[in-house]
Amino acid sequence: MRIGSYRLRMEKRLTVSGWEAATISVLAVIFALALFSIIFVLAGVNPLVAYREILSYAFANPFGLPPTINRFIFLLFCTFAFIIPFRAGLWNIGMAGQFYVGALCAFAVLYAFGGKASRSADLPAEIVIPLMLLASALGGAILAGIAGFLKGKLNINEIVVTMMLNFIAYWLVSFMIKEGGPFMNPGGRGESFELPASVHPPLFNDVAFTLLLALGIAIYLSFLFARTRTGYQIRAHGLSPAAARYAGVSTVKISLLVFVVGGALAGLAGYHYFAAVPGVFKIARNYGQIGDLAFYGIICGLISLADPLAAIPVALLFAGLTVGGRFVQGQLGIGFGIDYALLGVLMITLVAFQFFYRYRPVLERNVQLEERLEDVGVYR
Amino acid sequence: MVLERVEHGDTVLEARGITKRFPGVVANDRIDFEIKAGEIHAILGENGAGKTTLMNILFGLYQPDEGEIWIGGEHVRFRSPLDAIDLGIGMVHQNRKLVSAHTALENIILGHPHAGKILDLKRAEAEISDLCNRYGFSVDLKAKVWQLAEGEKQVVEILKALYRGAKILILDEPTSALAPPETKRLLASIQAMTEDELAIVPFITHKLPIVLAVSDRVTVLRQGKVTARLETEAATEQSLAKEMVGREVIFRLERVKAETGQPILEVENLTTLSDKGYLALKGVSFSISEGEILGIAGISGNGQQELAEVLAGLRQAEAGRVILDGTEITHIPTLERWQRGMGYVPAERVDVGSIGDFSLVENVTMNYYFDDEFCRGGVVHYRDIRKLTKEIVAEYSVATTGPDCKAKTLSGGNLQKLILGRVLSRRPRLLIANLPTQGLDVGATEFVRNKLIEAKKEKAGILLLSEDLDEILSLSDWVAPIYEGELMGIIPGEEAKREVVGAMMAGSVSGSGTS
Repeated sequence: MRIGSYRLRMEKRLTVSGWEAATISVLAVIFALALFSIIFVLAGVNPLVAYREILSYAFANPFGLPPTINRFIFLLFCTFAFIIPFRAGLWNIGMAGQFYVGALCAFAVLYAFGGKASRSADLPAEIVIPLMLLASALGGAILAGIAGFLKGKLNINEIVVTMMLNFIAYWLVSFMIKEGGPFMNPGGRGESFELPASVHPPLFNDVAFTLLLALGIAIYLSFLFARTRTGYQIRAHGLSPAAARYAGVSTVKISLLVFVVGGALAGLAGYHYFAAVPGVFKIARNYGQIGDLAFYGIICGLISLADPLAAIPVALLFAGLTVGGRFVQGQLGIGFGIDYALLGVLMITLVAFQFFYRYRPVLERNVQLEERLEDVGVYR
Repeated sequence: MVLERVEHGDTVLEARGITKRFPGVVANDRIDFEIKAGEIHAILGENGAGKTTLMNILFGLYQPDEGEIWIGGEHVRFRSPLDAIDLGIGMVHQNRKLVSAHTALENIILGHPHAGKILDLKRAEAEISDLCNRYGFSVDLKAKVWQLAEGEKQVVEILKALYRGAKILILDEPTSALAPPETKRLLASIQAMTEDELAIVPFITHKLPIVLAVSDRVTVLRQGKVTARLETEAATEQSLAKEMVGREVIFRLERVKAETGQPILEVENLTTLSDKGYLALKGVSFSISEGEILGIAGISGNGQQELAEVLAGLRQAEAGRVILDGTEITHIPTLERWQRGMGYVPAERVDVGSIGDFSLVENVTMNYYFDDEFCRGGVVHYRDIRKLTKEIVAEYSVATTGPDCKAKTLSGGNLQKLILGRVLSRRPRLLIANLPTQGLDVGATEFVRNKLIEAKKEKAGILLLSEDLDEILSLSDWVAPIYEGELMGIIPGEEAKREVVGAMMAGSVSGSGTS
């Protein structure tokens, strides 16, 4: 491309450093917001005002910040559920299903301790809460483990299996909480019984304690991939299954492992969302919408290049935009769905900007038309 | 077309001052050469000497930064390979560019202007059969390409170029994947083509004797420059290798007699299936002792790959036993085999032997992550492995920017040195080396072979699988030709005669008949 006496050329790059990747992502976000301002203008809203409202509500408002962080924790668990299998070259598209089953298992613990009886039932929190965490992780792990086992042992496509299990899990929740299901709310409102007050989780300014868990897991995963034997085996399998087999890595073990661990973390999201986020404390009637949000884990995972630490800012941004976007919709009287549209534009832009992970734009003096024609760049 | 009518000795193609730069390297530096009608003009060079770049320029895949190409006395510019093809240049790639689910005939007419919208297969078949008869090619035109042997695929590519009207044929490593009888046939065909005033340009990194046998002239490239331009009559194998490598190269390896000891590997009646489900290995038995090299000679696809994989535990044994150091290991997992002192240098060095997106350190880790010395409490001690990697890089003179660069930045020869160094650094009791020098240049080949001999002197047993008969004959203490999954015999290395082994590779049991 020619710009005056300069020309813009795309140069292939072999590697991209963490800082370069971060810069590219930030530029992509700015580009997406600029692009989306057209929509705001068309809706008769000053885009700068809209963005200021979104960001200030999501990140600087005492009512907006806690929901943002709680949403962020949820997204981060779902992102890990994607990242771990992805590092082994496998695709987990089943975080929604694992999230549902995780939630069911957490409530099964309550049920077993008689928590269904009344909101004022007195349950031993120091036993029940850890058990709920454990059960939700176990539930997600078992559901995802099915896909991992089938993939490793029989090479059955894990994308199809995890996706299909989503439907099974979705209707399983429906069976359990609606129409006389065992977890049905006594009031019969198509939702589960409520969490007894005695097992409400520890909260810090309305932020669930699972924040520490999620951040701790991010650090641990980062260490796992970079330094441990298991992490090495996962990465080797992800880059070249044939080479990993040659190195003595068992395909069956790795497939099972990554799905079990990934599923366990999506399961924890089930505990988090329905039993630790203030104001919810039950498996809500619209649990399917929350399940759909779980799929943002895929996008966050891809954008962060499957790096558990890089996933933190990405998930935070997405969480803030969903919470802030919903808020400005009401505040500025914009049509319904603008928050989802904004996320959509952002996702496409971030993914499209990954082009720059592979190519570096170079601006140089235009030497000669002759040479330009002979250029062997990406546009050839 | 400019080359419609040419007389013997006319200059059909001339390259003047071809220069091509890539970031950081000058791949071609003012290269001049010319080809005459009816001439075989070989271009020689090691990996990285600039052959591929030059080839791609001649075929229109790259445009030179400087320099001109003249065809039949006209200055031409290739915008794409299509221009080159239209001007009479045919290219036979080393990595075959054929559609494997289509028949040979369909592949040949693909892209031909006559093919048009309605295929006249009958006419095409008749015309192609004429070409076959004329130049002595035998290939079943109705067979699907995936059913063809490597040599036959090459014939299909040559026919494709000829049918398209090529007058100048560029051959990329024409004999590297061929067995001796196939090579012989190909050379006869090439000579028949030169009688029809075609110009043949083979690009070659190794197999120098063949260059000497058939070519008229040779141009040698080194580091992007032409270092020698000579009549073949005036050249010797020594002199060509010296021009290519830039120093003297020792060709004949003395077979080193190492002290042989205990048997390390015993294989009894081993049988396994190929990926497609047929018997690839039909009851193979042999044994290897300390300090011995057993060379399995064979044309590719006769069960060598499956043999290597079943021994490495990467393929299920259907019957038979494998005994390593007195313990049966027929069904144990791959990892345990490495821990018990087996080492494996696979033929697929890019796809199996290494991971391109891993650093050299991480690639060395492939053979060490399970080792207590380098991995304690589940944590890999990359610092120690990094030190080890540096040692391997130094000892095996791997040309690289450092231990942290990615393996995909290494050339084939350097990657192979790294893999071999990594495997041998574990001091394996038994080494399986599958095609260890395939595609390597003269210098790297010499290096790898010397390392095998060194390992043998240190009492390792070595199973060498190679398609290069000279390599097998010069290195092996025992030579076992393999044909259709069966060993045709096991002959002591000193008694193995080229003709006899060659015949056995083609299926002769007694080894008495010659081809």
